[in-house]
Amino acid sequence: MAAAILGDVSRGDPESLTIGWLYPELMNIYGDRGNVLTLYQRARWRGLQAEVVDLDKGATRAMDRVDIFFFGGGQDREQALVYDDLIETKAVPLARALEEGAVILAICGGYQLLGHYYQTAEGQRFPGLGLLDVRTEAGPRRCIGDVVVDVDPELGLTPPTLVGFENHSGRTFLGSGARPLGRVRRGRGNNEEDGTEGAVANNIFGSYLHGSLLPKNPHLADLMIERAKRCRLPRLDDRLELAAHRWILEREAARRPLGDARAR
Amino acid sequence: MVTPRRRLAVLAGKATGALSRATRRGGGTTFPGDVARAIDPQVLRRLIGDLRGGAILITGTNGKTTTARLVAGLLQGMGARVVTNRAGSNLIYGATAAAVAGAGLDGRLRADWGVFEIDEATLPAAVEETRPVAVVVGNLFRDQLDRYGELELLARTIQGALERLPEGGRAVLNADDPRVGEIGLGLPRPPLWYGVEDRSVSLSELPHAADARTCPHCGARLEFSAVYVGHDGVYACPNRDFARPAPEVVATSVTLDGLDRICIEVGGVRVEAPLGGLYNVYNVLAAFSVGTVLGLNQHFMAESLKKAVAAFGRQERFERRGRRFTIMLAKNPTGFNEILRESERADGRHFLIGLNDRIADGRDVSWIWDVDFELLAGRAEVVVPSGVRAHDMALRLKYAEVTAATEPEPDLGLALDRLTEATPEGGDAYLLCTYTAMLDLRALLVQRGWLRPYWAT
Ligand SMILES: [Zn+2]
Repeated sequence: MAAAILGDVSRGDPESLTIGWLYPELMNIYGDRGNVLTLYQRARWRGLQAEVVDLDKGATRAMDRVDIFFFGGGQDREQALVYDDLIETKAVPLARALEEGAVILAICGGYQLLGHYYQTAEGQRFPGLGLLDVRTEAGPRRCIGDVVVDVDPELGLTPPTLVGFENHSGRTFLGSGARPLGRVRRGRGNNEEDGTEGAVANNIFGSYLHGSLLPKNPHLADLMIERAKRCRLPRLDDRLELAAHRWILEREAARRPLGDARAR
Repeated sequence: MVTPRRRLAVLAGKATGALSRATRRGGGTTFPGDVARAIDPQVLRRLIGDLRGGAILITGTNGKTTTARLVAGLLQGMGARVVTNRAGSNLIYGATAAAVAGAGLDGRLRADWGVFEIDEATLPAAVEETRPVAVVVGNLFRDQLDRYGELELLARTIQGALERLPEGGRAVLNADDPRVGEIGLGLPRPPLWYGVEDRSVSLSELPHAADARTCPHCGARLEFSAVYVGHDGVYACPNRDFARPAPEVVATSVTLDGLDRICIEVGGVRVEAPLGGLYNVYNVLAAFSVGTVLGLNQHFMAESLKKAVAAFGRQERFERRGRRFTIMLAKNPTGFNEILRESERADGRHFLIGLNDRIADGRDVSWIWDVDFELLAGRAEVVVPSGVRAHDMALRLKYAEVTAATEPEPDLGLALDRLTEATPEGGDAYLLCTYTAMLDLRALLVQRGWLRPYWAT
């Protein structure tokens, strides 16, 4: 079954979905492969021709026809290795693709690199791509644990929650050019201070949530495909996905509240 | 000399051990260590001083328990008395508990050797307190990062510990693991390297779960001329500033016989062990290398390894209701890929997968997305997702298009019943579990009378 096309399609073929995976080898910690696999399968199950293009160091092949980019996190060494390549070879084609309506999902380290800069504990600043109006600084401790987010109602997602697992020490603050993806009901989110999690600006999505994020949040996965292809997708049987989503909501609701002093 | 404090520490530890065994609290493995150390923080150091041979430490992400068991077996085969922390409690308290249990009422440790599996992050403390004659580092894979922070840091921790080995202490390292290679090449004194050289058991490419792909010096992508397990293989940097060290103890002519037996040749000696899987080739090789450091006879080692038994829970088999069951422990992507491949070699078709997310399993289950469950698609006839995170497991199987997957069944007992029913009589069923899921499942099997409790085996 093909997707019903609503609007004008400027990128690629309406019957296909091209996923560009930024640094699949180096920036693939905490099983973020699950996000790529979810986009791929959910497109395939709807009869779209799905393809994953690996965008390793030096590669820019097919960046002009990528519908959705995925940018995961890496360990320090790996992140340092991709940094120069990101700035030198990926920044321009990526910015152009996003301008033309492509979608990007960036998780954890990838999310930080989309922002203005990352500032180390020693005060050294590494400029990011500046595609998303966020800034990150090294935090005093790692935020680790399950997260439940009440998602920004503007995104129109049902169920109105996201679930995932965070593991980061960077603290990210949003500028006026980005909206939070949602507010944490459980967990620490962007910075432990303002109760926000993730950031969205147009088709750019950043988040700290692993889990992987998309398998248990199929509504978010579909939103990305719909935004990229400017279409409405036929529904899939998501009972298993939503049961896994609900299971986390219920377990977190049953737990004692966190004993931290974070302002809500 | 036995100080009164040490004697008190040993006695109090022993009393705690007896008490917790009596109340059946998890086999009573670390409480005695906690108690003894509270009374005498130096108790482990002092007890180790009584050993006639010395201490041997085994660390690494996968294979610690099996390797420790093999090394202990070699020493026991010579008639030596060996203290081990074999119940899998591998922090400093676990090692202390084992030493306390091996001590007499006079507070002296009555043994020749101490063989301890040691958690990677605990290695510095363990090296300091036990002043080992050999330390094995088997591999470093991504594992439970939420517990340890990043692998990078762990590698530096291990390297720091090895740099502080006492005079006469030798590092025994897996040359095939790029991260271990990096650690060992930076050491002031040369380690003993071991490795596999048999292209016939090489994979065609690095699995998804492989993470040490780049040169630690220049960042170039490492070139692998063979890949054996995870990122373990024969690697070199194209810029020639880093390459696999040439191993001294080498396994050639590797034969894998399903889950039942491995056979290798080491320095012209044929070594057989009743264990399955390529990862066990590494464990056998590590034990053989420790024996080499200690100067054991090669033919004696080969004889002794023939009688090896897989470590508790790693590969346990039993028969019930006309079906053969195999329990296999999987705690990270690399380990899981290995057991999936083993079950494939054995033509396994019926599975229960128990996924828990307690601290000992790793609270983040994201890692299941790095495991190649696609290997089960089209082959498995039934896969029952179970454990605390049965729902996540079911979802992973759905996206791997394993159509034989059933609905998630978090209750391990019900899942086991479902699997038993779906497995034809005379057939094989595989119980693949994360650490605490294995403990839960085992407790259930003991309760049903299908297995004996582990402190009785
Ligand atoms: Zn190099």
